[in-house]
Amino acid sequence: MSKGWQLTLILCLLGLFALFYQGLWGDPHHIPTVLIETDAPNFEGPDVETGQTISLDQFKGKVVLLNFWASWCYECKVEHESILQLHQLFKDNPEFVMLGVNYQDELPAAKKYLKEYGSTFSHVRDLKGQLAIDYGVYGVPETFVIDQQGKIRHKWVGPITGEVYTNLTQKVIAPLLKAQPTTTTTS
Amino acid sequence: MPIRLTWCLAALLTIPIPLFAAVQDETDVDIQVREIAKTLRCTVCQTENIWESGAPLAQQMRGVIRNRIALGHNTEEIRAYFLSRYGDYILMEPPKHGVNWLIWLAPFLLLVVGGFFLYKEVTHWVRETPAPPSQPEPPLDDQARKRIERELES
Repeated sequence: MSKGWQLTLILCLLGLFALFYQGLWGDPHHIPTVLIETDAPNFEGPDVETGQTISLDQFKGKVVLLNFWASWCYECKVEHESILQLHQLFKDNPEFVMLGVNYQDELPAAKKYLKEYGSTFSHVRDLKGQLAIDYGVYGVPETFVIDQQGKIRHKWVGPITGEVYTNLTQKVIAPLLKAQPTTTTTS
Repeated sequence: MPIRLTWCLAALLTIPIPLFAAVQDETDVDIQVREIAKTLRCTVCQTENIWESGAPLAQQMRGVIRNRIALGHNTEEIRAYFLSRYGDYILMEPPKHGVNWLIWLAPFLLLVVGGFFLYKEVTHWVRETPAPPSQPEPPLDDQARKRIERELES
């Protein structure tokens, strides 16, 4: 076998090894999102605590942070304090809105969870899972940032803690809040 | 009652009736939901399609398919909706475009390349292996000849 063929064979084997490694040690639950830079689907649902209807449309022109959670989700409890801290950080900015989306949950359990862990913003109930499917959600917690133009700018699967929190607040939300919304004129 | 008729009735009794009932109860919408759901991957369980999965998300996805059928959406529109939410990952069969062709063709390519290397190596070994020296067959001795004759006669 010539040296060229031997080298090709080694490269092929290395490629296969890399794929095998990815298959064994990569995160099998990670699904790359296709929603970034697409229009955020509108939704409408009852508020977990008051029952009043909340719709995404009512926050047009603002930066919206959507956080999908459930009372049975362990990682949601892990991130809860950071989520409250994040709201505290931006709540005085009139351009910022934070909404929780209660996913695959029972209403009494969700209410008890909010009472126990605290809540400073509204939470909408996803009654039939339609909202979660519209956002390509496959587990909780998942967090989305929607910009002033209604486009999804960021998605994170997993708890918002540590470096993820820093990245989300400093590199995603803060720059968006400084950005001026583009105005469209209609004739 | 003739024996043949008795046997036929006995055979009919062995067929599970609920099986028939399940098939007869399936409406056109159910069939369409099943056909679409079988092509979509359960994002929670991964190795199952959403028709076979018992996960709540799969159940909700089946509900979404049913609602969209009721709204008049066709199979392709419903599949396109899930594709727009979850990407190619949601499809049980990766679509045949772009880099996905690698998934479809790689096994055959590996087979061809592997076969080529094997062929090259085997022909190389055959070429390099020296042929055994040719020697004339030793003549049969008397004892062996007699034994062969005895065995042929028996």
